[in-house]
Amino acid sequence: MPDERVEQLLRGYRPPQAPAAMDARVLARATRLFAWARVRSEAADLARDAADVFGFGYVNYLVDVVTATDAEYSVELV
Amino acid sequence: MGHACLLMQDANLGYAPAGGAKGLGNCSYNNSVGSSVMEGEGDDRRNVDRDRERGADMADEDAAAFNRLYHDYRTRLHQYALSLVRDREAAEDAVHDAFMGWARQLAAGRAPRQPAPYLYAAVRNRCIDRLRRRPELALDDAPAELLVAPAGDEERIDLRHALNGMLLALPQEQREVVVLRTWHDLEFAAIASLQAVPVNTAIARYHYAIAKLNKELDNHA
Repeated sequence: MPDERVEQLLRGYRPPQAPAAMDARVLARATRLFAWARVRSEAADLARDAADVFGFGYVNYLVDVVTATDAEYSVELV
Repeated sequence: MGHACLLMQDANLGYAPAGGAKGLGNCSYNNSVGSSVMEGEGDDRRNVDRDRERGADMADEDAAAFNRLYHDYRTRLHQYALSLVRDREAAEDAVHDAFMGWARQLAAGRAPRQPAPYLYAAVRNRCIDRLRRRPELALDDAPAELLVAPAGDEERIDLRHALNGMLLALPQEQREVVVLRTWHDLEFAAIASLQAVPVNTAIARYHYAIAKLNKELDNHA
């Protein structure tokens, strides 16, 4: 049998379906992770607002200065 | 490892670009400061509220992007992990850990630009770690099924079990090349990058594997 025939034969098959248990496990864990990230982000916003209201806005400014990262730009040649 | 040079057909997933959440957060902060100077305090408050809504939207978008990504890649990555470790539980663990790593990066706003190279490399690294800790299962104990025959195709249905056994019997690095090339449509350059070998080595591994399968199929017939 020529090698191309073997390649064609293989390509006719499909990968097996991922197990449903793995789907449930990954998606449940990811949902919890994103929910927690959202809570953290909202808590950080509240803390910033509170700092602004009580006259500690400069703390927010300092945090931003320390944690800011430069935006990344790139040019991709097509 | 040169993830960026993986050449593959990638789904358009619309995930946040690198530095996404943090970068966007900084932009919105600067915008609200700028607009408060120009438009007054009421507008500033509206901008802050809008930023907060935007933050919540971004969290929702991250979750949606993750779900899309998972559904696009779960089958292929599961097959890839199975081909590496030949053990269903270990393969599930590897895929699970790889996606959780991606989710953590996405939630932190540090998701790599290209999800597919990241995920393939993450699955591979986890499988290799696993194989270092516990050697590959003996072929008779390997219940992995790498192939599903299409319904109604009698030739392939008859051959499926034998072909699956032949694939599992290949050396791990050859099996990996065959799986990635045949069912994942990866270029040899991308496979070579994953395996950290020259492209010619990946091509040679593929041809050795196909020749070996060909011989086994002839013997089987």
